[in-house]
Amino acid sequence: MTLRLGRHEFGDDATLMMAIVNRTPDSFYDRGATYAEDAAFERVAKVVGEGAEIVDIGGVRAGYGPEVSAEEETERVASFVGRVRAAHPQVVISVDTWRSEVARAVCLEGADLLNDAWGGHDPALVEVAAEFGAAVVCTHTGGFKPRTDPYRVEYDDVVRAAIDATVALAERALAAGVARESIIIDPAHDFAKNTFHSLEVTRRLDEMVATGWPVLVSLSNKDFVGETLGLPATQRLTGTLAATSVCALAGARVYRVHEVVETRHTVDMVNSIAGRRLPQRAIRGLQ
Amino acid sequence: MTRVVLAPPVLAFLPEYAGLEDPVAELRAVVLDAVGWLGEDVTVLGDDQARRVAAHLLGATTRTGSEPSYLVMGNGSARRTDASPGPYDARAVPFDDALGRALLAGDRAALAEVDADLARELWATVEPIRRVAALTELSGAKVEYDAAPFGVQYWVMRWS
Repeated sequence: MTLRLGRHEFGDDATLMMAIVNRTPDSFYDRGATYAEDAAFERVAKVVGEGAEIVDIGGVRAGYGPEVSAEEETERVASFVGRVRAAHPQVVISVDTWRSEVARAVCLEGADLLNDAWGGHDPALVEVAAEFGAAVVCTHTGGFKPRTDPYRVEYDDVVRAAIDATVALAERALAAGVARESIIIDPAHDFAKNTFHSLEVTRRLDEMVATGWPVLVSLSNKDFVGETLGLPATQRLTGTLAATSVCALAGARVYRVHEVVETRHTVDMVNSIAGRRLPQRAIRGLQ
Repeated sequence: MTRVVLAPPVLAFLPEYAGLEDPVAELRAVVLDAVGWLGEDVTVLGDDQARRVAAHLLGATTRTGSEPSYLVMGNGSARRTDASPGPYDARAVPFDDALGRALLAGDRAALAEVDADLARELWATVEPIRRVAALTELSGAKVEYDAAPFGVQYWVMRWS
């Protein structure tokens, strides 16, 4: 399906790199490296240069930590979105937020996509997306309130639960007036899931793709990779790329990543193996 | 008047081997232009694989006219340099030079006498060239392409 992300359109065979840009002092991987606005701005320039089609700007760490008010979150991300919009008009600007008031502020500054990483916690968020013609990511978080880690969560069928929840959110977004081609679903690895759940969601991602909604995966350096391989956050790239390969083979469209280049290479390679993408330039043996 | 085109049977011309970038874009353009110059009814000289390439080239062009036409699918050595598909052979470049001179001169006797065994050793595709020399005059050679971009000697030539 063609994707329309705010002012940007992508063909139905396009895969997209969504680079993580944290304006947070405490995110698990970068540990505040881009909290300062100029550092975040440099990170945007770097990932755009690396070919990222989307930047995903976040002002609140996903996990536990000091409370960040809506005012503080807005202060961290809204004007920054405007600065990125002016400097990089060709890039899709996503903002990772669950709050409709933050969503409104960033849409006024030119955001194209609202990454509702806490799965419809604030029902008014999709109304903001509809009002501004923005796209939205619908995420499975098991009904948890924002910034909650899983504790003894179990599912009869985690994939079924993820599909049911995200498709319901997608249909709700559609009913609220968000365009069909502007709605993405995300099984949300690690969110409301233990490692076994995230592995199963990865293994059965094709079922999610089969819903017809474009699928986003956010795998980058996450704990399910770390627990699977017994590695700390700084050593999870190989495992992340292995999981990325499986999701790419299943047909995921958008990849939320820390490492743009490595993920792009992985996704392109897998899609060429799958026969969905031509090799870049082939002459060996064909001269 | 008979029209003859020599072109290399490069597999990269085929759509099933297309990439995002065309590694033979310039050669392809020259070949298609030359093939488009042939008449409507074309006799292809080449083996089965070369005939597949020729069929694609012919299908990608619109030709008119009733001139008897030959499309000769041949090329020089694929052992010219260390970057060639075949291992380097010092005899390759002199072989190609001599073959190129005979083609340019339309020297049918010289073309008919090309050493087929040596050509085989040098990975040169010359049998269609030997055959066309036996079939028709080759006068007024026009060289459209003469290069070895991948270590294989390609010529695109027209005669009429």
